[in-house]
Amino acid sequence: MLSRPTTEQILLDCCNDLMSGVLPALTDETAIVRLVMVETVMRNMAVRAAHEVAWMRAETVAIEEYASAVAAGCPNAKDVVAALEDLAAAPSASLHLDDVVDTYVLAGQAFSAALEAAVASGVRDLITRGEELLDQRADAETEVMAGWSPTGR
Amino acid sequence: MSEAASLDGASLQRFLDHVEPDSGATVTQYRPISGGYSRLSAFATVQWASGTEESFVLRSDPPPDTGVFESDRDDESRVLRALHGKLPVHSPKLRWYDESGEFFGQKTLIVDHFVGRPLPDVVAKEGIPAASEIFVDTVAKIHRSPLDVVPAEMERPADWESYVDGLVDLLGNLDDAVADKNPAVHYTAAQLREHRPPPMPLTIVHGDCQPANILVPSSGEVLVIDWEFCRVGDPREDLGYYSHLPVPPNLYEADPEGFLAAYREKTGFTEEQVNPQTVSYFYVLGMARLLGQMFAAADALAQGRPRGVMATYMINGTAATTRAFVDIARQLAA
Repeated sequence: MLSRPTTEQILLDCCNDLMSGVLPALTDETAIVRLVMVETVMRNMAVRAAHEVAWMRAETVAIEEYASAVAAGCPNAKDVVAALEDLAAAPSASLHLDDVVDTYVLAGQAFSAALEAAVASGVRDLITRGEELLDQRADAETEVMAGWSPTGR
Repeated sequence: MSEAASLDGASLQRFLDHVEPDSGATVTQYRPISGGYSRLSAFATVQWASGTEESFVLRSDPPPDTGVFESDRDDESRVLRALHGKLPVHSPKLRWYDESGEFFGQKTLIVDHFVGRPLPDVVAKEGIPAASEIFVDTVAKIHRSPLDVVPAEMERPADWESYVDGLVDLLGNLDDAVADKNPAVHYTAAQLREHRPPPMPLTIVHGDCQPANILVPSSGEVLVIDWEFCRVGDPREDLGYYSHLPVPPNLYEADPEGFLAAYREKTGFTEEQVNPQTVSYFYVLGMARLLGQMFAAADALAQGRPRGVMATYMINGTAATTRAFVDIARQLAA
């Protein structure tokens, strides 16, 4: 397959064409709003295409470590233990996007259960570590947003 | 003219010929109103055989399985009929309702047009303090209104505690029906359970309380529109919902303490009940339903049932909202 231009570059080139070649020709307000939304989504996807596999794999490793610590350090963490068992059976070695996503979804379930258990138990260190992981996830989401702002009204 | 049932001028003409057969209606002007995240809207002018002219606003559901935010036109029609003339502010006068979608393709409300400037125009021309005074006064009037003006069918929570517990549970279960868990909402719900604010009397909650939904006439009371999410709940849900709305200029963010002091003065609520921290708490709960609908819209695309570009576009809104939730939950716990 042709690796250059990258998916990110192709999508951004399409964005440029939409904004410079198509948008000026539109007069219908609704169509203009929809085109701007489509262009924004494509810029979002350009960022995702460039980084999402690496981000999800790195986060999955960190979540597994964190959830294991919660399972060991909090009472009533049986949901966390069950979610970790599911995660252990995930296709984590594969780099195909569907497999990476399936694994990441299971990691998300373990992370959700771990955060609930940590907050309910009040173990400060585990809560703080969970918040740091949430921050990292939010930072990646912010990067994907590519400067997004609401335009619905 | 098209014979298809859709939201357009030809359909409005056929509808009026049906519901007002002796009035000789002629649709003389029709244009879609762009913007808004949920419903399809249009403006129309009608000339009657008597020579009088009236203008209307049409609000319709988008086609099935499209759009992001869902609400029920039957509920909205009941709310509009119940509230009209009974609030200290104006609410839209519902003239007709195509409740089967026979004429417009989807359920469609037709309300009288109201001549007024959207409150954001007041912000632009008269500044934030003047607009903020109107906004706070409007919200306070809604929250001071007696509960007996809402439709009898509307759910009345048994008490504040169970209502708020239910909202926190709703938040914690928001991603139950979607493929992708969202750890941020689980963390937030867990923190909200641990840090409940003081109780308050339950009131009418508008549900989408923002300046764009307030029209200011040259004299007299304002008109408040978009009652589709109206419910009986905690009044701080309206304050919270608006407090973080990312549509500049945000009248709350401009001066949170001043905004809330004015609101307390008009409602009689205490500072312990209404302060920036409790408002943030209810931002989360006030946004929970909409966030759930954003999750569902994204999940529909993942399941091969795309709902249009708005649903995909609003994935950004999901990320921004959950980040704000986590920040608030962390402050509550600090």
